Amino acid sequence: MSALFGRSRSVLSRLVGALVVVLGVVTLTFFLARVVSPDPTNLYVSPQADQATRDQVRAMMGLDKPVLEQYVTYLGQLVRGDLGTSFSTGQPVRDDLLSRLPATLELATYSLIIGTLVGVVVGIVGAVRRGGILDHTGRFVTVAGLALPQFFVGLMLLWIFFVVLGIAPGPVGRLPVGLVDPPQTTGFVVIDALLSGQWAVAGAALQQLALPLITLAFAIFAPIARTVRTAMLEALDADYVRTATAMGLPQRTIHYRYALKNVLLPVLTMLAGVIGFAFSGAVLVEGVFAWPGIGQYALDAIQQSDFAAIQGFVLYAAVLYVVVYLLLDLLYARVDPRVRL
Amino acid sequence: MNLTLTPNKSAASPDTAANAPRRRRLTRLPRRGSMAVGLVIVTVLLVVAVGSMFWTPYDPDASGVGLPYQPPSAEHWFGTDRVGADVFSRTMAAAATDVGITLAAVLIALVVGTVVGAVSGFVGGAVDTVVMRFMEILQAFPALLLAMLMVAAVGPGTLNVIVVVSIVGIPNYVRLVRAEILSKKHWQFAEAARMVGNSRSRVLFRHLLPNSMTPVIGFSSVNASWVAVIVASLGFIGLGIEPGSAEWGSMISRGQDSILSGEWWISTFPGIAILVLSAAFYLIGDGLTESGEQR
Repeated sequence: MSALFGRSRSVLSRLVGALVVVLGVVTLTFFLARVVSPDPTNLYVSPQADQATRDQVRAMMGLDKPVLEQYVTYLGQLVRGDLGTSFSTGQPVRDDLLSRLPATLELATYSLIIGTLVGVVVGIVGAVRRGGILDHTGRFVTVAGLALPQFFVGLMLLWIFFVVLGIAPGPVGRLPVGLVDPPQTTGFVVIDALLSGQWAVAGAALQQLALPLITLAFAIFAPIARTVRTAMLEALDADYVRTATAMGLPQRTIHYRYALKNVLLPVLTMLAGVIGFAFSGAVLVEGVFAWPGIGQYALDAIQQSDFAAIQGFVLYAAVLYVVVYLLLDLLYARVDPRVRL
Repeated sequence: MNLTLTPNKSAASPDTAANAPRRRRLTRLPRRGSMAVGLVIVTVLLVVAVGSMFWTPYDPDASGVGLPYQPPSAEHWFGTDRVGADVFSRTMAAAATDVGITLAAVLIALVVGTVVGAVSGFVGGAVDTVVMRFMEILQAFPALLLAMLMVAAVGPGTLNVIVVVSIVGIPNYVRLVRAEILSKKHWQFAEAARMVGNSRSRVLFRHLLPNSMTPVIGFSSVNASWVAVIVASLGFIGLGIEPGSAEWGSMISRGQDSILSGEWWISTFPGIAILVLSAAFYLIGDGLTESGEQR
């Protein structure tokens, strides 16, 4: 009983900590934005506008008030779920983010699944066959995945598969020009198209997805493979594995029933970081493939000094970050009995 | 007989020591090998970087030294870009920018992060709580986005990019060093140093810190591999160093549209350069971390 109580209290203190982090991120972004552009009115009025018009716009946007008051007003809006209005799209930032989220989620989900699976397999094979050809090949590819900028991988894939071989479509987003989005149920174009029986659309969407998916999955695969290999090597070196070997247990059992379990924790930790990265829109992957997700939105926002949009995106990313790590902590306590919250 | 119930780290230490020589012999050669490869590559790149300040085949910043969009040839080894600049000369000159920024940023992050992390872990209490919360806030940002935001705030320029990229990296060092200090704070050598009358700061900086640096140095090289990519990413977006100056990421960006029309060489060579630099740092860091663990 008391253990239960203590646990819920520590969960509560984690939640408070998470809130503090989100508030800190929001605050830092707000003031950074003020430094970038102390007077955003110039983005709204024409350079020829007279002072009266400027003052009017400033008053309308609340920019005539002291910065601290603006900050408090901004926090008040956030609490009510109002992220402000993007000046480049003219839409509420919340609507902008929500409409772009499915594209990011679709790309990120598939990439995470594929990248993680391949990473785990390559890592395990590398560790079990340490020093063999497979291990060396795996390590080589892993290092390349860690050292290559994703935008460059994307460009090279485009060059090979679109320009030279001509088997992949160009970087025009989720569907080729001329195709209409299928009726939206899940927000995942491929699945929506299948659900509504539009096979051709589903096929086209899959083709559009292929190259960005490979690019992102490659970036996810590399750190996972490295973590799995290191953790698995460590596990294979441990006493209980030697004992199990001495007792004559089959290699297969030792590797996949005993050693593998100990790989789970470091992989979970790495996965948390990778999930945060993928779901907050791999900015440059989306940029290279003109993928209409939130990463692309953030990139545009920064290049156009669209602060409401930047702040909205950063808030989303920060909330995502604290939620993922909160879940990780809870999961850790569940998976590893030695860990107490 | 439940073998899975005993994956106990602390109990494993005496036996791992007996186990180590066998493993070391097995792994040492390839590790040392890849570390040597990394060191050689970084050295070569440094030589190229410094050399490019004295000699490049053509002026890297001049356009029209050849016709635009020439494929690689004996005259222009890496071809020319859309303004007719020599890609080989630019790739050489960019080595100075990218290697320089990467090394400087890592050095700053290493020094600042180590001092902050050491003090935070050693002093503890409210200071530690505040510092760690702040580090967590920095880490809650997507790294590239934080860098982009800060560069937008402080404006472009080589120095600004160095500072910004180092700030993004600092939390990693703070956490790493803090954890090291916390775990060693009450070890005998530290207690002994304290007992013979050393001041607190001397215990920290002369006794604890030098004994905690091995993993930090290894990490800094892995970190450099990541920093090289971030620097190139900023250049690719067009935030960062002065537009038009030779930098691998911005060179790739300049060739981005040409790739779709088949002129692959403009982006490919600087991209390979980033891969080589980043991979070299990674190999060094990997080797350092490994040998540190086996000590």
